[in-house]
Amino acid sequence: MLDFQTLLQIFWTGLANSTYAVLLAAAFALVLKVVKVWNFAQAGLMGIAYYTMYLAIQKLGWPGYAALALGAGAAIVAALAMEVFGLQTFRRRHSPPLTFFIFTLVISEFVQYVLAMVAGTEPVSLAATIMSASYIVGGVVVSEWDLKAIAATVVLMALLFVVMKRTRHGQYMIAAADNPHLSRLYGVNVRRVYALTFVLAAVLIAAAMYLFGTRASMVPNTPLEMMLFAVIAALLGGMGNVFGAAVAAVFLGLLRAFSILVIPSAWQSLILYALLFITILFFPQGVRIAPRVRKKPAAGPASAGA
Amino acid sequence: MNNVLSLNGVCKRFGGVVVADQITLDLKAGEILGLIGPNGAGKTSLFNLISGVFPADSGSIALQGRPLSRLPLYARARAGVARTWQHMRLFGSLSVLENLMVAPTDYPGESLWRLVTAGASVRRAEQQARERAMHILERMKLSAIADTNVNDITFGQQKLVGLARALMSQGPLLLLDEPMAGVEGAAYETMREIVREEAAAGRAVCVVEHNVSFIRDLCNSAVFMAQGRILERGDVATLLESKTLAELYFGQ
Amino acid sequence: MEYVASLLVLIGLYVILASSFNLIIGFGGLISIAHPIFFALGAYTVGVLSTQFGLHPVPSIAAGFVVAMLASFMLSLPSLRISGDYLLITSIGFQLGLLEIIKNLDFVGGASGLGGIPNVVQQHRSLVFAAVALGLAVAVVLSLRALVRGPYGRAIQAMRDDELAFLALGRNAMNIKIAIFAVGSGLAGVAGGLYAYYYQYLTPDQFQILQSAMILTMVVVGGMGSVYGPVVGAVLLLLLPEAITFLNLPSSVMGPLQGVIFTSLVILFLFLRPQGLVPSSKRLSAGGSHE
Repeated sequence: MLDFQTLLQIFWTGLANSTYAVLLAAAFALVLKVVKVWNFAQAGLMGIAYYTMYLAIQKLGWPGYAALALGAGAAIVAALAMEVFGLQTFRRRHSPPLTFFIFTLVISEFVQYVLAMVAGTEPVSLAATIMSASYIVGGVVVSEWDLKAIAATVVLMALLFVVMKRTRHGQYMIAAADNPHLSRLYGVNVRRVYALTFVLAAVLIAAAMYLFGTRASMVPNTPLEMMLFAVIAALLGGMGNVFGAAVAAVFLGLLRAFSILVIPSAWQSLILYALLFITILFFPQGVRIAPRVRKKPAAGPASAGA
Repeated sequence: MNNVLSLNGVCKRFGGVVVADQITLDLKAGEILGLIGPNGAGKTSLFNLISGVFPADSGSIALQGRPLSRLPLYARARAGVARTWQHMRLFGSLSVLENLMVAPTDYPGESLWRLVTAGASVRRAEQQARERAMHILERMKLSAIADTNVNDITFGQQKLVGLARALMSQGPLLLLDEPMAGVEGAAYETMREIVREEAAAGRAVCVVEHNVSFIRDLCNSAVFMAQGRILERGDVATLLESKTLAELYFGQ
Repeated sequence: MEYVASLLVLIGLYVILASSFNLIIGFGGLISIAHPIFFALGAYTVGVLSTQFGLHPVPSIAAGFVVAMLASFMLSLPSLRISGDYLLITSIGFQLGLLEIIKNLDFVGGASGLGGIPNVVQQHRSLVFAAVALGLAVAVVLSLRALVRGPYGRAIQAMRDDELAFLALGRNAMNIKIAIFAVGSGLAGVAGGLYAYYYQYLTPDQFQILQSAMILTMVVVGGMGSVYGPVVGAVLLLLLPEAITFLNLPSSVMGPLQGVIFTSLVILFLFLRPQGLVPSSKRLSAGGSHE
């Protein structure tokens, strides 16, 4: 029965479920914008954050927020290690873009294999029970998780906005994103900016994985597919537009939610890839063209400025 | 149309910067046109517009009457626009001869299909390309270094190789972007002679140069550009003596 | 003996896969992760043609080649039109998406797989397959070597060195990239066809994106941009698991352990020896890098 109630329900649930996707898309887009790298290692960071939190919650019995902090810490350490020992080395050597691609992708695969070895391939969840208290508002089922997730996402994105637009370090990030060489000449420590970018991304990732894990369960190779969603959102939102990516993630999440009305569930995941193709074909620069993002594709990301 | 190159009202801007402002220009066969002006005047950008590195915002560009605006870079080159680059852009992994042989007069080796099905014609074309390349290298007194990697030759020689590579094209137009920069002595002489020969053979040549004696030596006429506009066109001597232009050139 | 023969079949197949991937990524400089899907397309084409239509192996495998090649156009044409970076993203989508489609298509068996591929060799099965696989592998390597040393290889090298100058000489770089991608993918399809006839049973899980980790490792470790590098990489990486079977670990650990070893090797080589085990001669180097 396709009544307003059902539509509203789908809308609400879709919105709530796109929260972690928003954070993941923002993280990916942020690194893409500032460091100019397609951070395929994000899937690895996601896995590290998730399983660290899993360890803390299910094995050590820590409370949620402590586990989240630990997860964020683990992701931050991993991200910084990758940036400092990996990406900086390749930048110094003027390695071709291929190297950055292989490196980040292989990091994710490495993490995935290690997790599979250590934690096995049984689905694991962060929450003792996925069910949370729910209320009925206007005929729509609203769960506590939904509210917390949306609130958390809004707060985090607002914080990100404040950091990027109002703080000094945020200004440095934007300067380095536009012109790393020139920023360096103006005294901006570009390396520190890149490190900060990864820290922010890691925090977003950990938060996203916490939200996801308290609602669903996953196996070691789930992050790779979730990351694809983030990549598409980043593309759709416009390369270099973090908040555009966030909006795109919501849009995609809602699209996916409503698609069950027209497409049998077996074919659902195809929508993502179909969307990817459509995006590439018709919106190569993203749907929202942010100012000054008209980079020549050949001079684009995958290797940060020397 | 006896104009090899016709530009009409060509405009291009990048954001707030106008690199070409209503450029109108004609070039005939056998003419050597100098393009002078201060840095940032839009000279190299004009070459980029003609050769197709980026498209013009408006205006028309025609080669022997044939409009170029719809053609991508490689198609314009095939139509007959040959150019050299300010930063040479030689193929670093290849030898001098190989650099030239990447531009054969027809392209059988480029089609994978033809490679597989028509081996003999590929071999013949390869032979022809080699002969043509060696001939050019001999004219430019570079035969001795034909098999040397381009990174292992002198700067002057590299510049000559850049020119030689452009000459592999049998098209009617030759655009030279600061060919003389940093070149002196024998290389300079060779280059000057070659450009003269090409023009005498009917090619239309346009040269961007800061080297005033080269312009005086070689060019029939010159065009002075500043801030994307053509300020004056005329014969070289008059242009070079104009006080207002000197102010613009050096006063900036 | 049987065991050695089946190992040889695998070596032959992976030499073809690694060499064809090297053509795309090492020589062509085209960053794509979609090699396993073309392997899959070749295998499934053979699967369908042999089970549904009883087609003879040679035209079946040839069809696998063609299908993989045509599919590659679907990927390369729209992506390369924009830039090489996009090929990377679209290849991820293509690989994952097509695999999803296969999982949901009933006539190729869906997620439970396509079985019942007929046995086409009656006597000395493994030996014949080993001979064919190795023979094809040798043919592929030698053809690639000839290609790379001729005018086409020269053009590819020039394109990698400076694409803008290359275009300004009138060369159509796009055509070359599309052709390279098509040939590389087609060859992966051939390997897939052979694979289907040998194992006689296909499931989508055999062609996961993580297969590309293995092929990528072979190419990176063996040496990108050299003709023999992928051969060395393939042989080495197929013998490696044999070496660790002696550890007698449970299979749930063995699989991921192999993956850990492969990926660690890639990372190690990226840092310590980016040119791989078999360095390319200057002419064949993956242009532009100064490592």
